[in-house]
Amino acid sequence: MSFLQDLLGSQIVQLVVLGAALLGAMSGILGSFAVLRQQSLLGDTLSHAALPGVCIGYLIAGERQLSLLLPGALVTGTLAALSVMLITKRTRLKTDAALGIALSVFFAIGTVLLTLIQAQGSVGSAGLSSFLFGQAAAITKGDISLMIGTGTLLLGVVLLFWKEFKLVSFDPASAQVLGLPVLALEGALTLIVAIAVVLGLQLVGVILMVALLIAPAAAARQWTRSLSSMVMLAGLLGAVAGAGGALVSATGRGLATGPVVVLIITGIVLISLLIAPQRGILWQARARRRLTKRLPAVTVPHDAKRRKFPIRGVKRG
Amino acid sequence: MGNTLEQVDTHEPGFALHVEDLTVTYGATPVLWDIDMDIPPGVMAAVIGPNGAGKSTLLKAVLGLLKPVAGHIRFLGRPLSEMRQAIAYSPQRQSVDWDFPTTAGDVVEMGLYGELGWFKRPNREHRARALAALQEVGMEAFAERQISELSGGQQQRVFIARALVQNTPIIILDEPTAGVDVTTENIILELMKRLRDRGKTLIVVHHDLTNVQAHFDWLVMLNVQVVAQGPLNEIFTEENLRATYGRRLSP
Repeated sequence: MSFLQDLLGSQIVQLVVLGAALLGAMSGILGSFAVLRQQSLLGDTLSHAALPGVCIGYLIAGERQLSLLLPGALVTGTLAALSVMLITKRTRLKTDAALGIALSVFFAIGTVLLTLIQAQGSVGSAGLSSFLFGQAAAITKGDISLMIGTGTLLLGVVLLFWKEFKLVSFDPASAQVLGLPVLALEGALTLIVAIAVVLGLQLVGVILMVALLIAPAAAARQWTRSLSSMVMLAGLLGAVAGAGGALVSATGRGLATGPVVVLIITGIVLISLLIAPQRGILWQARARRRLTKRLPAVTVPHDAKRRKFPIRGVKRG
Repeated sequence: MGNTLEQVDTHEPGFALHVEDLTVTYGATPVLWDIDMDIPPGVMAAVIGPNGAGKSTLLKAVLGLLKPVAGHIRFLGRPLSEMRQAIAYSPQRQSVDWDFPTTAGDVVEMGLYGELGWFKRPNREHRARALAALQEVGMEAFAERQISELSGGQQQRVFIARALVQNTPIIILDEPTAGVDVTTENIILELMKRLRDRGKTLIVVHHDLTNVQAHFDWLVMLNVQVVAQGPLNEIFTEENLRATYGRRLSP
C-alpha cells in the first residue's frame, strides 16, 4: 500500500492518472455512439488524419506548441471526415472503402511531413513523433484543465441532444422523416468524436486512439440493456482502464502509458465477451448445457431409454 | 419552368399524395421514370411491382430521403416541409440494427421525438401514448422487452406502433408484412383496415399478390414507370399484372 502511496505522491503520476482517466471516460461515452452507428472505424480515420494537422501546426508555429498543434489536428481530422462523406455520397464506394482511403492518404501525408520536419533537425521536432504512440509523461496541468473544460462541454452537448442523438444512431431515415436535421446531428456526433481524438493524441497517440473509442463501448454493450446505462458504463470502464494503465506504467520502467491502457481495456472487453449475462459466450454455453441436461427429463417419453438410437443427454437403461 | 410549380403554394389539395414528373436515377440508370401518381385521402393503397421496380425508392423519394432528378410532390396540397407532422413513416425492418440497446416501448416513443421538439424529454403522458400504440398492435406485454429479443413479426409490429403513436392522417409503410407468418400478417392487415376506417390514408409497399385484392382498395402498379393506378377493383386485371410483372406471373 505504501508503494501505491509513493506512486500517487508523485505529481507527474497524479497528473497522468487523472488525465488518462478523464480521456478514458470521455472516449468511452462518445465512442458508444460511434459503435452503435457502426462507425467504429471513423475514430481510426479521424485519429490517423490528425497527424498531418499536428505537423502543419508545428510548421506554422515553428515549435511544439499545443495551442496550434491540436487545432491543426482538428482541422485535418474534420477534412478527413468530410472527404469520407463526399466519397460515399458521390461515388459507388461503400463507407468502409472510403474510411480506408481517407485513413491511409491522410496518414501518408502526415508521415511525409513528419519525416520532412525531422530531416530538418530543428530543436523540439523530436517531440512530434510522440504523437504516434503518445507520451503521457509530457502531460501538464494546463492539459488537464483543457480536458476537464472540453469534457464538460461535450458531455453537456450529449445530454442536451440526447434523444436526437439516440434516434439518429438507431434509425436515421425515420429521424429525417420526423423532421430532425439528420446531417447536422451526424456531423455533430462526428465532430465530438474528433475532439475526443485530438485530446487523446498526447496520451495514447494517433495509432492506438481508436481502441479507446471502441473498446469501452463494446465491453459496456455486453452488460447493459439501455443506451443510457451503456454510455455510463462505457465512461466508467474507460476511466478505470485509463487510470489503471497509467498506474501500471508508472510502476515499471519503459512501460508506455498508452499501450498499457489499451491492453487493459482490451482485457476488459475479452472478459465481457466471455462472461456477460445473456450475451457472453461462456454464459450462453452454460445456458445451453443446462437446457440439454434438463430437456430430456421434461420432454422425452419414458421408453426413450430403450430406443435403438441414443438421444443425446439420455442415459440408456 | 419547374420553378413555377414550386412557387405555387397549394397544388392539388384534394389528394393525400400528389406526385408529378418524378424521376430518380442511380448513376445513369433510371430507377423511377416520370412518375405521375395521385392517391386520394382515406384509402388503403398498395404499391406493388416486381423486385427492383423502385417501390421503396418511390416512398423514399416522396419522403425526401433521396434526391430526385426531377419531380414535384405534394401532401394534401402542401410541400413535405410543411406536412411533416401529418406523415408517419415506417421503413423496412432490415434498415436498422435491432441489436441497439433499447426496449420496444422506447422505440415506439421515438415516434414522438418530432412533435416533442428540442431539449424536451418524453414524460408520463408520452409513455402512456406509446403503450396505447403497442396495445393496438397487440404488443403491450413486450413494452419492456429488449428489441433484440423480439421475433421478426414482433419487430415489424413495433415499427407500426411507432408510426401509429404519431396519430397522423397519412401513414406510409414499407413492406410491413415482409417475413412475418400468416397470423401476424392478418393482424397487421386488419389493423391497417381499422386505421383506414378511421379516415387515415395508408400508402403501403406490399409484396404478396395473393391478398392484395382482399385487403386494399387502391392500387399503384409500378415497374420503374407507373403501369396502372386507380381503384383496385378496376385495375387489378391480368393484363395489368402481366404488364407490371412481365411473364413471371406463376406464384
